[in-house]
Amino acid sequence: MPPPVPPAPLDRPALIAALRARIARLERAGAAAALAARGEDAIPLSPPIDSALPWGGLPRAALHEILAAEPGAAAGFTALVLARAGGTVLWIAPEPDAWPPGLARFGLSPARLVLVRAPRPEDGLWAMEETLRCPAVGAALLAAGAIDLTAARRLQLAAEAGGVLGLLLRPDVDTPAPTAALTRWRIGAIPSESGSPHALGDPAWSLELLRCRGGRPAAWRATWHGDRLLTGDEATQAGPARRRA
Amino acid sequence: MRRRCCRPPRMAMAAAGGQPPEPPAPSLPWAAGGQGAALPGLAPRSRRRILALLLPRLPVERLRRPGPLAIWAQRGPRRVVVAVSAEAEAAGLWAGQALADAQAILPGVALVPEDPAGDAAALERLAFWASRFTPLVGVEGGDSLLLDITGVDHLFGGEAALRAEVMGRLARLGLTARGAVAGAAGTALALVRAGQGGIVAEGEEAAAVAPLPLAALRLEPGVVGALHGLGLRDVGSLAAQPRAGLARRFGAGLVRALDEALGRAGRPISPIRPPPEMRVARDFADPVVTRAGIEAALGLLLEELCRALREAGRGARRLRLRAYRVDGAVQEAAIGTGLPSREVTHLARLFRGRLEGLEPDCGFDRLVLEATATDPLTGVQEGLGTRGHAARQEELAQLLDRLSQRLSVWRLAPRASHWPERAMRRVGAFEAVEDFPGWAAKPRPVRLLRRPPFIGAMALLPDAPPSLLRIGRAAHRVLRAEGPERLEPEWWRDRPERKLRDYYRVELASGARLWVCRIGLLAPGEEARWALHGHLP
Repeated sequence: MPPPVPPAPLDRPALIAALRARIARLERAGAAAALAARGEDAIPLSPPIDSALPWGGLPRAALHEILAAEPGAAAGFTALVLARAGGTVLWIAPEPDAWPPGLARFGLSPARLVLVRAPRPEDGLWAMEETLRCPAVGAALLAAGAIDLTAARRLQLAAEAGGVLGLLLRPDVDTPAPTAALTRWRIGAIPSESGSPHALGDPAWSLELLRCRGGRPAAWRATWHGDRLLTGDEATQAGPARRRA
Repeated sequence: MRRRCCRPPRMAMAAAGGQPPEPPAPSLPWAAGGQGAALPGLAPRSRRRILALLLPRLPVERLRRPGPLAIWAQRGPRRVVVAVSAEAEAAGLWAGQALADAQAILPGVALVPEDPAGDAAALERLAFWASRFTPLVGVEGGDSLLLDITGVDHLFGGEAALRAEVMGRLARLGLTARGAVAGAAGTALALVRAGQGGIVAEGEEAAAVAPLPLAALRLEPGVVGALHGLGLRDVGSLAAQPRAGLARRFGAGLVRALDEALGRAGRPISPIRPPPEMRVARDFADPVVTRAGIEAALGLLLEELCRALREAGRGARRLRLRAYRVDGAVQEAAIGTGLPSREVTHLARLFRGRLEGLEPDCGFDRLVLEATATDPLTGVQEGLGTRGHAARQEELAQLLDRLSQRLSVWRLAPRASHWPERAMRRVGAFEAVEDFPGWAAKPRPVRLLRRPPFIGAMALLPDAPPSLLRIGRAAHRVLRAEGPERLEPEWWRDRPERKLRDYYRVELASGARLWVCRIGLLAPGEEARWALHGHLP
């Protein structure tokens, strides 16, 4: 029996980084072609968040899952992402209740918003998949309950084929099931920093990046001021604060 | 050398003298209609050709019952037979007989009460069936169909062959029918009502109807009796009378009926459905049964229709596929598009979901694809790159088409109203929506609840902002509140009992921001009603 060959002295971190990059390329091979036709491939949120994400922003041609710990804050954050994705935006929900007078604050104009009512979950998944495959769409949102891994994987592949940013808006749960989405966020509301009991101040959100393929979980406190997302200095880069994904 | 020079002219002459080239899509009605005028040398066929079908036993035969059968109805105090089957007629029954007489003559006769609505529906179904021959079919009276066969007879090998085919198919369906072709609807109707049939050549209408009895005109019974009293027993003798006197004594209706029968006046056909703008059809010797077969046939039809649309510079907005089943049933599948389109793959995709509704029991022997609405569509570059703005717009339109076949898709357009439920209105997914600049000023909810739940609220003072909200079973402390913002109902639009609302923007201890309102003015001794109307970001 030959003696086991000792491993060659390698630069392990460099090797791991190269392998990770290779896996990422293999995994998102379909997205590369779709993104090449579009130009930029990531949506900027705010500088601290962008630097924490491996793509320098929220990437297109991918599915992102958003757990809504608070409906208003989650809707505000999704409106911000949809508005920055540009192009026509589809809002697919069992009972779409998006209201343009409020969405306009985040730059999402009613001229770009199309609402789709899909009362049955399978209709919603079908509509989302059709939309994600269409390169003429900027972004799409599907408000849904639980989604199994196969359906989410289908949506992820469809988003890679069409180069469309897909958002999956789901109600928050303590132990979310595994997902095929590229990132998973939990969006909650936090009391604003207004000193007066008679003024609400700017919207303040807690953004938790629970899961990120190729990146590390993180959490931020963010404020929407004017037309910018300000991330607080006390951004905790440690990890998920409350619960683990 | 000379022979070689001579040949080309001879060939050209032979080509010119041979068959005139067929129009590209002979089943399109507009193509067929233009054909007669294009041929020089022939007299212009300005008149129409109408096939009238009389179905005297439809009420009986549609029931498909064996044995002698009679339909009866109550006419005032009498019960009379209104329709009889062939077997019952052979035994001596006739329409108009008293019911008791009929039962005495033939005790075994099956009696069915009259069902005018069912008869009308059956005739309408038959009219749909007859639209396989021509797109213009009308129902006439309670027992006749009028088919405008102008320009379609050549598809079946002439008028005689067309008439024979119609009669043969009706006989196979088990229906007794009489058919006559003439240049005027009135002439053809008079012939079949007099129990005759056949084909009346152009210009011979007056001669054809002259020997018919006056009953063929379907006049009022009193008028026929009076005319008989004058010794006028057929149409020819009536036509020989001075018109002014006839009109004075019997009314304009008689003259009108006479003119229609003689072919001097036209009788309009009100089609069962407006004729489609374009249509293509395909017949199958073997009925199509499988889904794959129907899809393949639909693909061929779509290609043909899209070619015709391209030549006409138009795009389809609404398409209807009609499938004629072997047993006479007609089924339909329809799609609509938001923007005019003539792309085969897109239209075929839209049809894919609709084909599930078809039931090809024993197979379809004819499929007809009609464009019921078209819009001008020009200047679209097809198949050249997909990055242009126009191509993007088209892709988006196709996506919205696909989605709206199954789901409801809409946009929200701003409306001049301060009342929250009315601030937006639904418009079609293809309409252009303009931005509204005034929104950024007021913080408004991002989600407006369609059914606002009532909530409990506690305030320190009756008119103060709430300090505690009770939503469901949970109580939430209010940290901050902005308001009130009073919205008055729109008196010019609302009912008078609608109450005003005081809106507050509140922030709970958890950080959630809500848009809540107190409904109505506070009245002493009454509890204020609060509702949660939306979520603020």
